[in-house]
Amino acid sequence: MHKAKKESTHLPLFILGGVVLYFLSGMVDELRVYQGATIAVYVIAISSIILLTGYSGQVSLGHGALMAVGAYAAAVLRIEFNLPIILCFVAAVLAAAIGGALLGAAAARLSGPYLAGTTLALAIGLPSLANQFAILGGEQGLLFDVGFPPLALGEEFTQYKWFFWIAALAALISMWVIRNLLNSAYGRAWRAGRGNEVAAQLAGINTARSKVLAFTISAGIAGLAGALLAMTIGTVSPSAFPLALSFSLLTGAVLSGITTLGGVIIGAVVLVAIPEIADVVAHRLGSSESVTTNLPGLIVSGLLILTVLFVPNGPVEQHRARKAKHAAQHTSSKKKDKH
Amino acid sequence: MKALNRRKLITASAVLAIVGLAATAIPAQAAEVGVSSTQIKLGMTLPMTGTASLGYNKIPGAARAYFDYLNANGGINGRKVTLVVEDDRYVPTEAVAKTNKLILRDKVMALLAPLGTANVKAVASSVNPARRGVPVLFVNTGFSGFADKKKYPTTYTVLPSYVMEAKIMGEYIKENFAGKKIGLLYQDDDFGTDALAGFKSAGTNFTIKVPYASGSQSAAAAAGWITKFKAAEVDVVILFGVSSATSAMLGVAAQLKYAPQWMLGSVGGDATTIKLTGVPAGVLYNAIGFSPVPATTDMKDEYVKFFSDIYAKAVPGSPFDLNVLLGMNTAFMTAQALKAAGPRPTRKSLMAAIDSKGATFANSALVPAGYSKTSHVGLTGYWVGKYSPTGDLSPIGGTYVTYTTDSGSGPVVKSTYKRPAMPAKGLPN
Repeated sequence: MHKAKKESTHLPLFILGGVVLYFLSGMVDELRVYQGATIAVYVIAISSIILLTGYSGQVSLGHGALMAVGAYAAAVLRIEFNLPIILCFVAAVLAAAIGGALLGAAAARLSGPYLAGTTLALAIGLPSLANQFAILGGEQGLLFDVGFPPLALGEEFTQYKWFFWIAALAALISMWVIRNLLNSAYGRAWRAGRGNEVAAQLAGINTARSKVLAFTISAGIAGLAGALLAMTIGTVSPSAFPLALSFSLLTGAVLSGITTLGGVIIGAVVLVAIPEIADVVAHRLGSSESVTTNLPGLIVSGLLILTVLFVPNGPVEQHRARKAKHAAQHTSSKKKDKH
Repeated sequence: MKALNRRKLITASAVLAIVGLAATAIPAQAAEVGVSSTQIKLGMTLPMTGTASLGYNKIPGAARAYFDYLNANGGINGRKVTLVVEDDRYVPTEAVAKTNKLILRDKVMALLAPLGTANVKAVASSVNPARRGVPVLFVNTGFSGFADKKKYPTTYTVLPSYVMEAKIMGEYIKENFAGKKIGLLYQDDDFGTDALAGFKSAGTNFTIKVPYASGSQSAAAAAGWITKFKAAEVDVVILFGVSSATSAMLGVAAQLKYAPQWMLGSVGGDATTIKLTGVPAGVLYNAIGFSPVPATTDMKDEYVKFFSDIYAKAVPGSPFDLNVLLGMNTAFMTAQALKAAGPRPTRKSLMAAIDSKGATFANSALVPAGYSKTSHVGLTGYWVGKYSPTGDLSPIGGTYVTYTTDSGSGPVVKSTYKRPAMPAKGLPN
């Protein structure tokens, strides 16, 4: 029986990843370290979309708003109560998860374009709520200061390296949690519900509850990403969570392969690297400012179209499928040889 | 097994990606950052694409037009001034990322005219130019807080603050519309909060105050605002919002034949930007407006004439408007600051030059600048004008009447400021 065999949680692999990142952060310049922190934030945010859309089959165009909820929760607690930074991040997860549970309760009754529309409205409306309450700091926002790196790390240890460490650690932990969650009974229930809701119900899965749970967890992860994003830019303000953020997360998820958590780093790196690549290309071509400024959008859109056309399940899934096919051919040809 | 392979692939791709990014990094250089024997490098972030870029995306072209003229005439002590421009799409996250690129990769000497309150604040907090000793010259926002030397030690403002503008509007109302009913439309964020503080300080009493949420402005919303102002029977309506709010309001009012005396804040009062939103400039006719720099059509003004001539050659066919004039004026002041920073300019000497001489820098503004060893406050006032049928703001009665004040509780006074004459050929001396 497969059931009896406890599946590995791959903890050593994640720890190894952490060690690699630790050494890398000491080798690259400050700009790369900052970009690394941004990539880590995107990894977390995109994985929350993959969990929700790829595994549980619910679309969200409003994850930028859930990130804002997490970011504001963390910043307000930091400013008003001077909570330790770790608790601020925990609070960000909880606050966004509560928001996600409320939204998920509504979302479980909606699907397809209606769900997309509802979450889209959230992405547009929620961040500007900050203008209505003085405690949220209005358009110019609130400062979110995680403090200087501990002195024990040495004088040379930059603020951005500190951000990177925090973000990378958070990314590793959340990836580990998500990965194991997706391989648990919950993950199977989500996939079953996505595949065929009626069949899943017949199999004894409470699909409505399962969907709300997926939304809640996904929102919590998005909240963490939001708080980390706020950390990297030092502030929280409505304009930091524009509609474009929700869209680029979805784009990142599609580029990563919406049904495979494994590809998440691809989407995150692409989102950070595209402006750089565009810059290099534009410089080579010696083109005008309007080309330089519009090129990143063009490249991302182009990649999105190409991905949907040629690798609809993402490059990682494609690679795996090809390998599986190859292996199948290999075994079948072996079988033939035996005959 | 399959899962393990997937893990491996993720780890491998992560490592590859980061190593790849690291490989293209450029090593640091010695001497004062951004200054070589042949050039001085400056960096600018602002929205170049997206809805918020409307009108503002002409600023880099305007600043470059002046710098190119300067460089063609010997530059600053033989050094050419170059400007690296980055698009932040008006998003703080982007502003931080792009500013990091400017400071860490491009290694600019100073940041020039970054735009937007939330963006400048995020950059101050995350990139922390102050800790790095990077000057942030002439921020393009009217938020008065950036003049706080303790909080933003390397930041210099240039535009008069929203508080100053509201105080001067209040004074003008007191002088010209005593006893009239006044209505106010304002954005219910910091922009509006600053305005309310200024009006309070000026003692302006409003019959009705209508707030709107940023982003909610539309023709439908404007119809609602007009209903409120009509019901309150106001004589004067102040529009203290962004250009899109002004154009929505004036466009709908023209259709409804609602015509009180309009008074426009400078942020939402630029005719070219309003025209870009699809509303004819004629709706501005007879509205009262405020500006710190001369009318952009005033070709008798030596600065306006000089700037518009250079701009017409550099960017043919592009209208010479307020954003262009302000962009060139900022570049003009920057050139003088760089010149005053000595034969071997450093970040420190650049800031010291503004502290000691900034208030006397020649520039087109008709109001004094407040720079000193203890103050990073830029321009301190406005002149009052009326819009022509083509949407050009000109002084009432043909002569500029200017008012100056501060962002605190100081009085509003009619200014007797005499602007420095333009240096020969428009080059810093």
